[in-house]
Amino acid sequence: MTYSSLLFIYIFLPAALGAYCIVPKKLKNVALLLESMIFCGFMGLKMLLFIMLFCAANYIAALFIYSIRPKIRCIPMAAAILFDIVMLVSFRAEDFSYLHGFMRLSEGAFPWGISLFTLSAIGYLIDVYKGNIRADKNFVRFSLYIMMFPRIIMGPAVSYDIFAAALRKRRFNIAEIGAGLTLFIKGLAKKVILADQLYMLYSASMSGDFGSTSAAAAWLGVISYMFCLYFTLSGLSDMGAGLSRCFGYRFPSSFSYPIFSGRIRVFASRWHIQIIHWFRKYITRPLSSMTDDPLLSKLVFAGVWSLAGFWYGFSWGGVLWGGLMGIAIMTENKLRKFKLLRSNGIFYTIPVIMILSVFLALGDVSDAFRCLWTMVGGSGILADSMTAYLLRSYAVALIVAVYASTDLFRNTVTRVKNSRLGWTLSVLTPIAMLGLLCICTSLMAYSGYSEMMIIKL
Amino acid sequence: MKRTEKITAAAVMTFIIAFSAVTLFGGRCEIPKTGKNVLLDGGFSEGIMNCTAENFPMKNKWRSVGAGLSSKVGEPIVNGVYIADDRLLSVGSASLEDMDSAAEFVNDFTENYGGAVYFAAIPTSTGIYGDTLPSYLLPVTEKQQADRLYEKLSADIRKIDAYTILKMLSDNYIYCRSDTRWTSYGAYCVYRTVIQKLGFIPVSYDKYTIRHVTDSYHGNLYSRTSYMESKPDILDIYEYDDGTLIEECSGIDRDGVRRRIIPYDESNSGYELYLGEPMPFVKIRTTVNNDKKLLVIGDKSADCFIPFLTKHYSEIALISAQCAEGDIEKYVAFDDYEQTLFLVGLDSVAEGILDNIK
Repeated sequence: MTYSSLLFIYIFLPAALGAYCIVPKKLKNVALLLESMIFCGFMGLKMLLFIMLFCAANYIAALFIYSIRPKIRCIPMAAAILFDIVMLVSFRAEDFSYLHGFMRLSEGAFPWGISLFTLSAIGYLIDVYKGNIRADKNFVRFSLYIMMFPRIIMGPAVSYDIFAAALRKRRFNIAEIGAGLTLFIKGLAKKVILADQLYMLYSASMSGDFGSTSAAAAWLGVISYMFCLYFTLSGLSDMGAGLSRCFGYRFPSSFSYPIFSGRIRVFASRWHIQIIHWFRKYITRPLSSMTDDPLLSKLVFAGVWSLAGFWYGFSWGGVLWGGLMGIAIMTENKLRKFKLLRSNGIFYTIPVIMILSVFLALGDVSDAFRCLWTMVGGSGILADSMTAYLLRSYAVALIVAVYASTDLFRNTVTRVKNSRLGWTLSVLTPIAMLGLLCICTSLMAYSGYSEMMIIKL
Repeated sequence: MKRTEKITAAAVMTFIIAFSAVTLFGGRCEIPKTGKNVLLDGGFSEGIMNCTAENFPMKNKWRSVGAGLSSKVGEPIVNGVYIADDRLLSVGSASLEDMDSAAEFVNDFTENYGGAVYFAAIPTSTGIYGDTLPSYLLPVTEKQQADRLYEKLSADIRKIDAYTILKMLSDNYIYCRSDTRWTSYGAYCVYRTVIQKLGFIPVSYDKYTIRHVTDSYHGNLYSRTSYMESKPDILDIYEYDDGTLIEECSGIDRDGVRRRIIPYDESNSGYELYLGEPMPFVKIRTTVNNDKKLLVIGDKSADCFIPFLTKHYSEIALISAQCAEGDIEKYVAFDDYEQTLFLVGLDSVAEGILDNIK
């Protein structure tokens, strides 16, 4: 079950909210955990058992790390982190699918959110090891950190202290539910209306082999991939944040209109904010603090970006995407002294991001280079009728995608809110939300869910 | 702006709860039964999601709106169906290799069979009208598939080129607009050639009395899209009173129960008008006095074709490769039939339906 399914929206969500509403305040966390277990149970009882064991292992490890002498804490911490990494790699890397075989899982079975909750667990272990936080003795609270259903698919991967603070500051009321539902429907629309259409455009553009694909089609494919990836990730992230808010918990958003950033560095700071922050906090900073050598620091910077890329794609293409992103940020920092770059950042940022995304999209490095060769006209065909047809067919989706990637709409709403016409939002927002929900429902009405998923995290 | 949020919460939750209640209590689709393995692996999740979609109130209206929206925002492809200006077309992903195992089966059958074998590969509407589709959607055309299949069939098999016949007549109403299958007229056009190959003179078109049974038939492609703007189809019955009658028409259903079939039963909906609901085996006895018997191994395309043959044979046995499974000799003794006609849609061949039978 995903958020973008009729089963979730029309059966699970009202039932979960209703049950959460009627349980006494002190049992709300237990109720939410039980609901999360039911949600995970839809992946299969084996998956539920796996996630519960994962929680238990990390919970016990953290308590153990906290209880022993600081000098030897690194041993259980390293063992627990290794365990988490092995679990992650076993499910995500195709060459290491031993666990998949051991659990006798059906083909395609996958614990949704494993990439996110593994990072959360590792971050928690490191924080406990460093003494930044105490190991939480409350198993319900810790399990919620790992498997709370509004967070499990796409986070946000906030640190444990932020999560625990959010639990403490729970504000469960009708206004929060309204704000949460608004955010949820916004995310649902991103996923179902835009990401799914762009996924079809990406598949269509890249359907042929690169030798016979036109340069225009390859560009169209890469552009649609980047938009699709953005709307999938930010859509799921918005849905998760919206659901959390429905249950009274506020978490920061993961994306802040990154696509049309004026600098590569700004793009990086607006893209999957908590994930990039996680890598910076737990890997880049500790490693950089160990050296004063600027060259080594740069290597660390690029290396950690490679690791982040690997985390996204579990492929060499992902590694290269990350590494090149790191190099691009450092190069940009060096070249920013030129006035030309400072004033026209958007004109190089977008092409660089699009070109680098080829590695993430295709995974295989040689395929990615073939695609890049096609993009510069290497196939000998600059444009063809298929590209014209695809552009014509998906013009509306592309225009809406470009608009939705900018903050123009948000700024307009803010301006209206602060003007004399602010009251109109009270009428227009519910109508717009119902309208978007109806559109998404109609698009999911065939199979009951939104099927296209460009990335499995 | 708490007021906005409260109104939004009230409006959206009322909407969700109303549809939730109708889905839960007003549905007809039963929740799929779950075994231990299904529960462990999570397979039940998909079943419940499908069930929710099936029970969802006004699902066809939602689907129709969804189809319209999809075609406006992106490509006009919904659930594997291309919405063209004048018809719906199925978009498949068959490969030429799919034809090889079917050819192997027919060759084996021919080797062990004493009579004459005929093969007519019937294109779908996409095969005839696929030129309107963007090229990337049809990496392999049905013409190429038919050529590959015929190339792989042994020389002993007499091949009937239904594709060329139908392609030449593509300006006529030979295919349903909302279905992959042909109309009675399309079947008649192929019948003329097939029956000559089988050694008979076809009944000429002007001898038939054509009756429109319905002009609001929504076919299998419509079912996949629920696209309400697609044009409905006309289903015809071709009647020719030359004194021959169908003495007996019966079938064996999937449970092995023999059932009586009434051909051209207008109380049946859609394509079931011709030979009733799909059954693994159908046997027709006529008053034609020539002791000629024909075995047809076919698929869904055969239903509106078989009635044309009843004017020429005293007995026709139809094995539906779609419904029959395993050893087909349990239905029929092959040696009783001197001729066997394979009348199979190219989409069915690509799906490997001939692999179901032995």
